[in-house]
Amino acid sequence: MSDVNVLVVFYSRYGNAERIALATGVGAIQARANIRLRRVADHADAKTIDATPAWRENLDRMNRDYVAPRPADPQWADVTVLATPPDSCAEIESYCASLPSIASMRGKIAAPLAPRDEESALKPIYAAAACAGMVVVPAKTESGDPIAAAREYGQRVTEMARSLKKLSA
Amino acid sequence: MLTLRKAEDRGHTDLGWLNSYHTFSFGGYNDPKHMGFRALRVLNDDRVAAGKGFGAHGHRDMEILSYVIDGGLAHKDSMGEQHVLGPNEVQAMSAGSGVIHSEFNASATSPTHFLQIWIIPAVEDLKPSYQQFAYPSSEKRGALRLIAGPDRTSNPAAAFINQDARMYAAVLGAGDSIDQAIRPGRHAWVQVATGAIDVNGVAMKEGDGLAVSEETSLRLRGSNAGESELLLFDLA
Repeated sequence: MSDVNVLVVFYSRYGNAERIALATGVGAIQARANIRLRRVADHADAKTIDATPAWRENLDRMNRDYVAPRPADPQWADVTVLATPPDSCAEIESYCASLPSIASMRGKIAAPLAPRDEESALKPIYAAAACAGMVVVPAKTESGDPIAAAREYGQRVTEMARSLKKLSA
Repeated sequence: MLTLRKAEDRGHTDLGWLNSYHTFSFGGYNDPKHMGFRALRVLNDDRVAAGKGFGAHGHRDMEILSYVIDGGLAHKDSMGEQHVLGPNEVQAMSAGSGVIHSEFNASATSPTHFLQIWIIPAVEDLKPSYQQFAYPSSEKRGALRLIAGPDRTSNPAAAFINQDARMYAAVLGAGDSIDQAIRPGRHAWVQVATGAIDVNGVAMKEGDGLAVSEETSLRLRGSNAGESELLLFDLA
C-alpha cells in the first residue's frame, strides 16, 4: 500500500471534467498513490437533465461508473482533487461546504482544477477549500495538453503530500 | 509436492451484486498464509449480478487477466479501451505505471461468472497496455491452450505478459487426460474453473486450486460426468 491517499472528486455533465479528473487520478497512481474516484450529484432536477439528452446519457453512464462521495473519504485522503466544469462550480462548492471540521481537514491538500484552468470556476472552489482548512495548490501547469497537464498535476500534488507527511512525521 | 487449496477454504466476499471467492488474500480478506503462489498474486472467482460491476478504480504494476466462464464483461479504461469480453476470449491488461478502469456485467438480465488473475510483473513502471483476443473453443478441448505468456509472438496467438509465467486453459471430458511436463525448477498452479478433475491422483472440484512444486510432470484427468474446465499456470 502507498503512503499517500488521493481522493478525486469531480462534477461533470458531458464528460470533459470527468476526463481531466481521471487523468489527475492516473497521475496520482503514477506517483504511487492510492486513489478513490467520486462523482458529486447534480444540483439540477431530473426534468432539467432530461431536457438535454447528452447530459442524461452521460449522467446514466457516470452513475454506473462512479459512486457518490462517502463521509469517510475526506479523512482518508491526504489530497482531494476537486474537478469542475468551467461553467458550473456550485456542485463542487457544495461538496467543500460539506467537509468535516476545519480541525480535521487542516494541512490536507485541495487540488482544484477545471478544463482550461477556468479562473471564474476555480476561484470559488479555492475559497471554499481554504475555508474548509485545506492547503490549496493551484493547477497551473506548463503543458498545453489538458490531459497531460492534469496527469502532471496529479503527480505533483501526490509528491507534495508525500513531502508534507515526511516533514510532519 | 502437491498442496491442495480447497474451494471452501477460500476467502469470500458477498456484496449482493458480487459473490467472490478469493484463492489468495484480496481486499478485505487477508490471510498471511495465502498471499499468492510465486508470481501469481490474485485469483478471484467472481459472479457479478446482471447490470452490476466494479466502478472506476486504479491499478499499478500488475498484469491483470480476465477469463470469462459464462456471460460477458464490459471493460473501459483510461487508455481509451472499451470492449466486451466473453467466453473463449482473453483479456490482458498491463497496469504498468498506472491505469484506471471499470468492469461491468455486460448483460442487463443474466449474471456473469469470470476469473480474475493478477500476476506480479517482472519489471515495474511499464507503459500500460491492453490486449484482447478470441480463440476457437476447440483449441482447449483435450489440450492445454496457451492463453498468456512472456513471448511477444506465439502460434497460436496468446496475450503477452511481463513475467516469466504462462497461463493455459483446458476443457476435459469425462476420462480425458493431458500429460504436462514440468521443467526443472518450475512450479505450477492448477485451478478448477468448472467440473471436477484429478491431478496426479489428487481429486479436485470446482474452485479448488493446487500448488505444484518439485514435480516433473502432471497428469490432468477429467473426473466429472460432463466437461470440466481448468487453468494451469507455469511459474518460475
